[in-house]
Amino acid sequence: MDRRRFLDVTATSALVAGLPSSGRATNADAAFNLHALAQPDLLPILGPEAVREIGVRYRELVPAENQIQALRAAILAARPWSSRVPWLAGPSIGAMVAEDFAAGRTIVVQGWVLSTTEARQSALYSMLAD
Amino acid sequence: MHIDARTLPNGSVLEADLCIVGAGAAGISMALEWIGSPRTVLLLEGGGLEYEPAMQDLYRGEIVGLPYYPLQAARLHYFGGTTGHWAGFCSPLDPIDFDKRDWVPHSGWPLRRKELDPFYARAQPLLELGPYEYTAGDWQRRDPTLVPLPLDPRVMWTKMWQFSPPTRFGARYRDAVIGARNVHLYTHANVCELEANESLGAVDGLRVRTLDGKQHRARARYYVLACCSIQNARLLLASNRRTPTGLGNAHDLVGRFFMEHIEIPGGHLALALSGPVNTKLYAFEFGQTKARGELALSAAVQRERRILNGTVSLEPGAPGEVAKSTFQWGTPERLAALRKWQANGKVGPPPDGLPEPAPAGAPRFFHLVTRQEQAPNPDSRVMLSTERDALDMPRAKLAWRLTELDRRSFRVFYEVMGRELGRSGVGRVQLLDWVRRDDGTWPGTLSGGWHHMGTTRMHDNPRLGVVDATCRVHGLDNLYVAGASVYPTGGAANPTLTLVALSLRLSDHLKRALA
Repeated sequence: MDRRRFLDVTATSALVAGLPSSGRATNADAAFNLHALAQPDLLPILGPEAVREIGVRYRELVPAENQIQALRAAILAARPWSSRVPWLAGPSIGAMVAEDFAAGRTIVVQGWVLSTTEARQSALYSMLAD
Repeated sequence: MHIDARTLPNGSVLEADLCIVGAGAAGISMALEWIGSPRTVLLLEGGGLEYEPAMQDLYRGEIVGLPYYPLQAARLHYFGGTTGHWAGFCSPLDPIDFDKRDWVPHSGWPLRRKELDPFYARAQPLLELGPYEYTAGDWQRRDPTLVPLPLDPRVMWTKMWQFSPPTRFGARYRDAVIGARNVHLYTHANVCELEANESLGAVDGLRVRTLDGKQHRARARYYVLACCSIQNARLLLASNRRTPTGLGNAHDLVGRFFMEHIEIPGGHLALALSGPVNTKLYAFEFGQTKARGELALSAAVQRERRILNGTVSLEPGAPGEVAKSTFQWGTPERLAALRKWQANGKVGPPPDGLPEPAPAGAPRFFHLVTRQEQAPNPDSRVMLSTERDALDMPRAKLAWRLTELDRRSFRVFYEVMGRELGRSGVGRVQLLDWVRRDDGTWPGTLSGGWHHMGTTRMHDNPRLGVVDATCRVHGLDNLYVAGASVYPTGGAANPTLTLVALSLRLSDHLKRALA
């Protein structure tokens, strides 16, 4: 995904994501709690310092998401529709990351080719770990 | 039979049915094919049986265009040629490499991969390789611990290499060549000019010089230039007494389309798979490994993204380390030390620079080192310098030049690889800063692999190629070219296996011609 398209998607996502963050969260959303989201699978791969740097850089690249709620909302909004239905089992965050790669929803941060979801997770990590 | 040309009376005339100029991998592979045949073969080698600085200096040349490696150190000028310091990497070109690709100007061979397959198979034992089997599955059947990474074959695949010991042709085949009664090896016999006949339709003889001032003449029914890509072009261009642009150069193609493989680190891989990950299939230990895999993009992805072919090897390392390019690692001094160590029977510890033993434990971090095809480019070329060597022959002048397609292909490869290794859960890919840049520039570490190709390219149309599909020079009835200089494109495979295969194919053709 090129940068412009990525930003478009992000902006749209942020709008849609206003719903759960404003008190209408579903049970499925609960599985994506802030603590879980802020622990990207990248941590054991790259180490905490590298993930924190990625997160900081991501927030610079996408200033519209330089807030905890905006990041969480963007991640939740990127879920497929089925995961927003309370009685359906949604995908894990790991599955979302794999799906990002398959669909080309990637972003290069600090040189790393990352799924947009894990890049946002890294940003959350950098904010919560600071 | 072996004769040092310096011991011949001045003005000697050497005659045979076939004359092969150059005793490297191509020339020796051909000569071996003729041992015991009823035909006589002249094998003319400019150097001696061993390395000599004065002979090597004849390969010194001028470099313009992109920075390049010193020409006198990039090739070897003695019996056995550059196999005296090659690393033994062998792999066939891929089928797509032979295709005319509309996004790669000047691409397309006048033959198909399947036509070369029987010759690849024949080349394997000459290079002391295993069977002609080049899929990861072939090698996994032999050794179940060689497991390919779980990639989507529609996107990426594991291209296999086999490793020659490496065969030093000079040492390995010296006795066979010298012992052959019908193969006459002349060393210190530097061919300085090809003389065409009156009609300029055939070669009439070769001017041969020695460093001590003697001049001889060689005559044969058929001639094969098997010097190397730079020297083949230099010799044709310098044969300009009767045709000012040189022999075989009616369409200004000789020397053009010089190609290398771009061999340079481009990024890193951090494994994501949990637990110890078996990457043995991708590991390489000089002199030990028989086969290994490198990561390649599928032909479908190359077509879709309109990029060149290429592969990436996995070199175990650590974050923060800076991997070296081929030219950075193999400095002339280091290569000289390695050559000396080998010539002395590898007695004592190896010189500084041999690969370090792999660290204990399964590696989880790798440098990604690319070997990428170079787009055929008429402006990337070998010319004649105004400077002359000790034999009064114009030195070579090399202008290595790359295109936007080379640069874009490099970046796209890493982006696609990053996505596929992420999707498959193998790991995460990091692109080096310069790879991410979109300004078309190359880093200061830019490097080739000492793989010189393309200066007498093959094409059925004389306006588009120097040699035809049989490797005969267009317009000259009895002059052929062997070696990587005939490649229209270079793929991502090291050139030696293919050039030996083509030499065997040419040998068969000439046997039929002389029958």
